[in-house]
This record gives sequence, C-alpha cells and structure tokens, in this order.
Amino acid sequence: MIQLEQISKSFGKQEVLQSIDLQVKKGEVVVILGPSGSGKTTLLRCINYLEKPDAGQITIGDLKVDTKHPTKKEIHALRQQTAMVFQQYNLFKHKTALENVMEGLTIVRKMPKDKARTISIQVLEKVGLGNKLDHYPVQLSGGQQQRVGIARALALNPEVILFDEPTSALDPELVGEVLSVIRKIAKEGITMIVVTHEMDFARDVANHVVFMDGGLVVEEGTPEEIFQRPKEERTRQFLSRITPQATYSI
Amino acid sequence: MTLDPSFMWTAFLSLFKALPTTLMITFVSVICGLFIGTVVALCRIYRIPGLSQLSTAYVTFIRGTPMLMHLLIIYFGLPILIDSLAAKWEWSFTSASIPLIGFVFIAFSITAGAYMSEVVRAGIVAVDRGQIEAAHSIGMTTPQALRRIVLPQALAVSLPNLSNSVIGMLHGSTLAYTISVVEINAQALVVAANNWKYFEAYIAAAVLFWGLTLLIERGSGWLEKRLNAYHRGGVM
Ligand SMILES: Nc1ncnc2c1ncn2[C@@H]1O[C@H](COP(=O)(O)OP(=O)(O)OP(=O)(O)O)[C@@H](O)[C@H]1O
Ligand SMILES: [Mg+2]
Repeated sequence: MIQLEQISKSFGKQEVLQSIDLQVKKGEVVVILGPSGSGKTTLLRCINYLEKPDAGQITIGDLKVDTKHPTKKEIHALRQQTAMVFQQYNLFKHKTALENVMEGLTIVRKMPKDKARTISIQVLEKVGLGNKLDHYPVQLSGGQQQRVGIARALALNPEVILFDEPTSALDPELVGEVLSVIRKIAKEGITMIVVTHEMDFARDVANHVVFMDGGLVVEEGTPEEIFQRPKEERTRQFLSRITPQATYSI
Repeated sequence: MTLDPSFMWTAFLSLFKALPTTLMITFVSVICGLFIGTVVALCRIYRIPGLSQLSTAYVTFIRGTPMLMHLLIIYFGLPILIDSLAAKWEWSFTSASIPLIGFVFIAFSITAGAYMSEVVRAGIVAVDRGQIEAAHSIGMTTPQALRRIVLPQALAVSLPNLSNSVIGMLHGSTLAYTISVVEINAQALVVAANNWKYFEAYIAAAVLFWGLTLLIERGSGWLEKRLNAYHRGGVM
C-alpha cells in the first residue's frame, strides 16, 4: 500500500501542492486528472523524490519517509520501490532497448547478467518489442520508445509504477499501442498511479480517480462517481471541457 | 645554403627514437587530465562547497598562464617542496630521485586537467536532464547515474573538443625540451646541431607532428562515428 500524507511543495512563492493526501491500495490503478498546472507532475515526482517535497510523509509498504528530513538511504529506498514512465520517455540514449531494460536489474538489483537478460527479453516481449532488442532509442518510433520505457519500469517489479502522461508526446496513431500495453499490465494487478488526459482510457483502466486543481485534491472516487456524478463544480467544468468529443462524434 | 633532402630523411628516421617519449608525455597528460578535468567539472556543476571555488581558481589560473610556466614552476618548485618535507619528516625520498620526465607528466597533467574540465563540463551540461532523472527513477545512486549514463554521453558529445585538447597536448609536449627531456623537438635539435642543418631537422619534425595530428583526427573521427551511432540511428 502507498500512502501520501500532507505532501506540500512550493516553487518560490507558488504553492504547487497544498497538503495532498492520497492512498493507493495494492494492485489498484489510480488515475489523476486535472487541468494544466494543477500539480499532477509535481506530485508524481515527489513520490520518487525527483522533486523534494517541502513537507509530508510518504509510506510505501514498510518504508516510511518523512520527506522533510529524509536520509540518503531513504531516498534511495523510495526510488527502488517505485519506477516511473516519463512523458518524454527518457530512454538511455546510448543503450539499446535491451540494455535500457537490463540496466536497473544489473546495476541496481545486482542481478547476474544472463538472468537480467532473460527477464528483460521476457518483459520486452510482453510489450511487443521482442524483435527490437538491439535497437537504439533513435531507431524506434515514439510509441516503441515509450513501450521500452514501460518495460524498463516493469522489469524492476516495483511496488508502484508512476506514469506521467505517457502518451501525450505521441502522434495520435501511436497512442493506442501504448495504452493497450498499459491496460494489459494493469490487468496483471500491478499498482499504478497514472496522470493522463485520455478520458476513455482513464474510465476504462482506473479503480480510483483523483481530480486535482490548484495544488489540491478537489474530488476523488470511483470512475463512475467522478465521470457520471461529479459533485464539485470544478470537476464538472473540467470534464465538460476535456471530453467534448461526444458532442461532435458521428 | 641549399636544402639537403637526404639529410631530412636521416633526421626523420632518427626522430623516431624520441617518438615514444612524445607519445608518453601526451598520453599520460591526457589521461590524467581527463580524470582531473572530470572531477573538477563535477565539483563545479554540483557546487560542492569549498571544492567548487578551488576548482574555479585552478581552472582560471591554469588557463590564464602559459603551459611553459606550469612546467617551469613544477620543475623548480616541486623539488623545494619535496625536499623541505623530506627534511621535516625524515624521508629517504628526495627530489633527486624523480626522473625529469616525471616533472613533465605532473606539470602537463595539471595543464590538461584545466582545459579538459571545460570540455567535460560543456559535455555534461549538454546531456538532457531527463537522462539522470530516469537513472534515479530506476533506483541508481547519483555516482552510478553519472558513471553509467551521464558521463558516457557527455564524453561522446565532447569528443571533437577532446580531440582538439589531445592535439594541443601533443604539440605542447615539445616544451619538455626546456628541461632537457628528449622528445621529438629536442631530438631534432640534437640531430641538427651535429650537422648544422636545423632547417631540415625541423621540417622533418614538423612532418612527424603533422602525421601524428592527422592520426589523432582520424582516430577521433572513427571513434565519434562509433560512439554516436545512437545519435544518428546508424541509418546513414
Ligand atoms: N521546476 C519548477 N520550477 C518552478 N515552477 C515549477 C517547476 N515545475 C513546475 N512548476 C510549476 O508548478 C505548477 C505545477 O506544475 P506541474 O507540472 O506539476 O503541473 P501539471 O498538473 O503536471 O500540468 P500539465 O498537465 O501541464 O503537465 C505549474 O504552475 C508550473 O509552472
Ligand atoms: Mg504534467
């Protein structure tokens, strides 16, 4: 289980996260929605300490970290328990798809090379890239790069995978292949926190939906609650703005 | 005075005797310089208190003074330092047991370190932030991320500038003759003095340096192609 308590973060004078609480149960897929600038990325980055929260507590399994005074060990442990899929993929440019996935296993997990290779190949096959093992990132399409990014996270078998708008840098025709991979691993019971603007996908994959605005959790609930019966005006406004497709679909 | 081509050839061949010394000076100063340069660049980028200021002072001083001065200061200064320390601590070691070329290695490593730190720093800064974040996100420590992810990419980016530094150090190695180390330049002088044919001897030396420089450029071009295959996708 993952628990965030009163996570706060400011950039200069701007309070980007105002005492955020969030609970994620094991195997759950939590989708975070919200307008641009609401702090979604910052929240995800605080969970693995890519961004240093000003205050609050993060609990992942047995690991409890007071984010104000973490030790180096605790930060390292947080990062080992989590993995992240980036909007811009951030694959290691000088490494092949296979090496990208193996890197965490051999260097962080200290796994023997041949075992790491076997696992990495399995995971890359799972994301449909068994035939691209020796390709460098530049030789892959955006969709393929992002699937390597997912494989890199997945191979580590972390407590939770954090997705920050995994499809928003992609050409529209490549979005589907990435979403279907995420759907597939969601069904396998991997705990995930996903920031996305893909509403159909969110509805489909989420167990729990969180709506953020202005650094606050405005509303949260099941997908039905949020999408069909939003209580808050701000949620309603956001959803009507972001899902206008229904009005002009044929 | 007429040109004596056959003597030029004789001189050229005799210069090869000094080639290992020149290569050794270049190699040692470049390798040590790369190491010093990387450490210094990291101290400055990560603004490590104390070390960062020290590094900046080192870089600006060395880059602000001629390479010949570094050699002379080390050559004359280091023995004083060592011998006074030796007297104080009663070491059996004295500066007399340092071979001449040792001073050259030390001085030119210090020179190369300052120049290369700028090159390495530019390379590190050119690496996308997302790379180190991704490394952290899979649980790497910062030293692991630097060693495995950032530095290899930074070096690949810096390769053209590094090869210029190597060429600079190769040419600079000729200054070693001032403290009587017989590298190519000094060897040319020796050959020439025996026959009073300075012009031929120096032309031969110039040709040899030119050849070495071309080799370095070729080598770095080849290495660049290999290392940066991932940049162009190896499609070209
Ligand atoms: N490193 C930073 N320095 C200063 N301000 C920042 C930094 N990172 C984010 N911000 C600010 O914090 C606010 C929240 O940013 P964040 O990226 O978390 O929003 P978001 O919800 O992910 O938005 P989007 O949907 O556009 O990705 C924004 O106003 C942004 O300008
Ligand atoms: Mg964002």
